[in-house]
Amino acid sequence: MADRILKANAFTTFDLLEGSVEGHGFAEAAPAVLNVRTARRDPDEVTLELELDNVDLDSVPPHADRVTLSPAEARTLATELREAADRIDGAGDGGENL
Amino acid sequence: MPTKVERWKDEAYGMEIRDHLERFASEGFQSIPEDERDAWFERFKWWGLYHQRKGQESYFMLRVGTPMGRMTPDQLRTVGEVAREYATGPVDNPEFGEAYADFTTRQSIQLHWIDIEDVPAIFEALESVGLSTMQACGDSWRNIVGSPVAGRDADEHVDVWPIVQKLHDRFKGNDLYTNLPRKWKVAVTGDYRGAGQGDINDLAFEPAVKERNGETIEGFNVRVGGGLARKEPRFARDIDVFCRPENVPAVAAGLSGLFRDYGDREDRFNARMKFLVDEWGPEKVRSVLQEEYVDDELPTAGEDLRDEYDYNAGRADAPGDYVGVYEQRDGQHFVGLSVLVGRMAAEDVIELADLADAYDSSMIGLTQRQNVIVGDIADEDLSEFLEESLLEEYSPDPHPFMRGSIACTGTEYCSLSIVETKNRMVRYARWLRDNVSVPEGVEDFHIHLSGCTASCAQPQIADVSLRGMKTRKDGDAVEAFDIGLGGGLGETPRFADWVEMRVPADEVPGYVANLLAAYEREREGSESFRSFVADRDEDDLAGLAEPEETSYEDPYLANTKMTWYPYAEDDAMNASPAPTGPNDDPLATDD
Repeated sequence: MADRILKANAFTTFDLLEGSVEGHGFAEAAPAVLNVRTARRDPDEVTLELELDNVDLDSVPPHADRVTLSPAEARTLATELREAADRIDGAGDGGENL
Repeated sequence: MPTKVERWKDEAYGMEIRDHLERFASEGFQSIPEDERDAWFERFKWWGLYHQRKGQESYFMLRVGTPMGRMTPDQLRTVGEVAREYATGPVDNPEFGEAYADFTTRQSIQLHWIDIEDVPAIFEALESVGLSTMQACGDSWRNIVGSPVAGRDADEHVDVWPIVQKLHDRFKGNDLYTNLPRKWKVAVTGDYRGAGQGDINDLAFEPAVKERNGETIEGFNVRVGGGLARKEPRFARDIDVFCRPENVPAVAAGLSGLFRDYGDREDRFNARMKFLVDEWGPEKVRSVLQEEYVDDELPTAGEDLRDEYDYNAGRADAPGDYVGVYEQRDGQHFVGLSVLVGRMAAEDVIELADLADAYDSSMIGLTQRQNVIVGDIADEDLSEFLEESLLEEYSPDPHPFMRGSIACTGTEYCSLSIVETKNRMVRYARWLRDNVSVPEGVEDFHIHLSGCTASCAQPQIADVSLRGMKTRKDGDAVEAFDIGLGGGLGETPRFADWVEMRVPADEVPGYVANLLAAYEREREGSESFRSFVADRDEDDLAGLAEPEETSYEDPYLANTKMTWYPYAEDDAMNASPAPTGPNDDPLATDD
């Protein structure tokens, strides 16, 4: 088993999420680390990085994935996440009120 | 474009920070402007002060650097007295009480719960016996590590103590090397044990011999660019340079100057010497050192003595630490005492200093395995010394599971950690002692427990490496560990193989028990645990043992990172009294 790729400390955004990987002919689930970061020096983009625990995966080699977002893209993502969370909260509230 | 930290350092750094510290101390914690605190806390590190984590605002960790861990009994007593008087917080630690000192893996001392108002008095007390916090942290020459028993150890090639004193005097408070791109860790090894652990330092002087004109010259080979942190562990690399003892300061000045000038100041993640060595290769380091930083022609490397190294080497034929009774060159003895996870109650520190005095010892040593040595015990006094009651707790002959453990600071005080560490390691060790039989022939078994992927407990170089993580158990998020096996130093150092991820903290002792049972069952002859691991492939190692719940109970399984102090009765973040004044009473805040 390989060591983790991403570091995990108290500043990591999420050190324990449920993740999954899917491809042609395979699908596996594994715990995941998800982190949002920006460069310490003159940040001009946001990096979103994801790593699934490699010990639980047979179908892909140990790795981490990254995407970079411009500030505008990061805000778009944040807005969509917030709206999605609100929909869940809203649906939950509705259920309890019925 | 320099980083934020580089800009702060440009504005004020080094010796001058002392004046600012004294000013803030006299005016109180709240005189540090809130919008400048990040900058000041970064600068305070140069004088050995780290601000503690969220929930513990206004409290500092204070680090005292002791070259090669070497102290006089007087100095040790002063540390104990400072700890007793100043290193107390609002809540006691359930294992270690009200006040205690931590001995670190780089042979320094850490005290917690320090109020800035007390810093001038602490500095005065420390300096009155020749101790200092200068450059204990921050971007400069850190505490120089090596064997504390240099000059006394019968198992020795060159006495490096005079050399280390010269380095310490030259590079502490030296404007030329005050502000480096990042920390600069130096190890000087003169023994056959490899006790300097040079492989994990930025600069390592390793014992070697060289033949020249039919003469055998004793000296050192030079390695650079080792270090464990940032998920990028490296062993120091051989730059093919031999160095006579008298030339050590010049070569050290050259290499730290090279690092100062060529290290990366634009990205702190990429700043350590190991990354410059990655980029340049050892050959270029050597050629730039020769061309730009030293006058004399550098000899090529001599013959090293690494095949004799046994310190943390996982060998079956030699202990990997200094615990026990050893003979000195002068016929007296030094006695290595096991200090579980390196933490000793302040009262015990004072008692140990008194004991050393009573036996006419003039040397106390802190080791890189977080233990302590008392030197100069006369042959005729030895049996009486070994009967002293303090040695029941800090034993020279401890149970193997009470002997080999190292733990970092953890969520108790550290803002990086994600799990509780020292008290947990104490509980692990006790449970293992009481419940697991030691495989025959095993005298010391090294478990290094680190709270996150920073590597303060050196988790990559242990028999069993534990590194803090989280997992879900019975629906709840709980503290957990990634587990690695078979790392260590020695002639051929090796990083651990990582074999398990996210093992719940309460199932780790069961895992270790099962692992040791598998080792005892499957090993060949007197094979060491480390070679047992090295002989197995990834699949074998993964199948070796399973985590398991046992009678071990873990009181810190929930998320201690979210508490203000894990051992407080009401540990909720909003129950924190911080920031407080020197009497631990909450300070009035705007909200």
